[in-house]
Amino acid sequence: MGRPAPSSEHDAARPPASGESPVVAPPAPKRPVREEVPVAKKRGCGGCLLVVLVVLAVLVGLLFIPGGEKLEFDIVEEFERHVLIELPSIGPLDMSITTSVAYLWIAVGVIVVIAVVVSRVVKPIPGRFQTALESVYELAREGITRSVMKKGADKWFPYIGAIFFFILISNLIGLIPLPVGEGWQEAFYVATSNINVTAMLALLTFIFTHYAGIRSHGLFRYMGEWAPKTAPPVLKQFIWGIHLVSEVFRLVSLSVRLFANMLAGHAILAVFFAMALIFQNYAIAVVLQGGSVVIYLFEVFIAGIQAFIFAILSAVYIGGAIEGE
Amino acid sequence: MDPEAAKALGAGLAMGLGAIGPGIGLGTLIGKAIEGIARQPEVAGDIRTNMFIGIGVTEAVALYAFVVALILIFVA
Repeated sequence: MGRPAPSSEHDAARPPASGESPVVAPPAPKRPVREEVPVAKKRGCGGCLLVVLVVLAVLVGLLFIPGGEKLEFDIVEEFERHVLIELPSIGPLDMSITTSVAYLWIAVGVIVVIAVVVSRVVKPIPGRFQTALESVYELAREGITRSVMKKGADKWFPYIGAIFFFILISNLIGLIPLPVGEGWQEAFYVATSNINVTAMLALLTFIFTHYAGIRSHGLFRYMGEWAPKTAPPVLKQFIWGIHLVSEVFRLVSLSVRLFANMLAGHAILAVFFAMALIFQNYAIAVVLQGGSVVIYLFEVFIAGIQAFIFAILSAVYIGGAIEGE
Repeated sequence: MDPEAAKALGAGLAMGLGAIGPGIGLGTLIGKAIEGIARQPEVAGDIRTNMFIGIGVTEAVALYAFVVALILIFVA
């Protein structure tokens, strides 16, 4: 969304809301007498009380309708390896096309299409689409790379920006069920909930961090800076060892953070979907489907936040290595 | 104890106890960040950026617990 668009939307949305509240205000004193105070309080309008009561009645009615056949649903199955196209393996590398690979390719395809389309239709006065993409691009360049890296921001922006857009797009695509699951069925999967993908991305950041550090300081000076120069000899080696462990642990923390976040989000969504099948009850199904919408929106937020965090931590690590401690 | 029950219990304990620390940490972190923004709204952008970095680092601890719970259930 462009900057002017949300404000205009807010302005458009507000007048009806403020126009409604004076109408609704008069019946307010009556409300405490009624029984459903907590429900009515949430809505904050007397007219909605009827609607809430009807919804409750429908839900109670649904409780007594028996559900259909009990269905088996295993959440783990969603995250297992499903081979779509079997290909011969080259040495130890299995080249088969799996669900995860298909999702990665779709993400790459979407990024390429967006980039090509945008670069063709760039206008001096941006439209909605261009404004939205420009603001995301600016977030990647100003908000992430330049705000964190003092030196070499422009040199490293291509990497940081690429990793930001790749993770963002693949996280968002993972929220859409696509027909690339087991036997070309619909799959609810996200490429970044596979530890292999996130470990590879973290490994790239790890390699580039030390490459940047060694290039700007030289190997021995770069590694010498891991321990303070004024420390006594034995303590210095001990600190150096601890720093080495922390460098390796960054690899683990970067990859596990993204992987576990996306896996946990999708597992929670799958539990919400599957709970209705397990309980065999329409009332629970309706409530949980409503809840899953809220969680889905939260997952969209998480998708953006995780891409942001991965990119900004990559920028912090690379910037730290260039500057020296 | 039945091994399956022990696995389930261990996974639940790992996730539940592992979420205590990050919960307290995130509460303190975001509370302090909001305090900082309220005091100095002009640096809200910088504080927010750093807050998200802190959230990422703190939250990772809970996610390690989550991974340990998954390993206990499906691998161990």
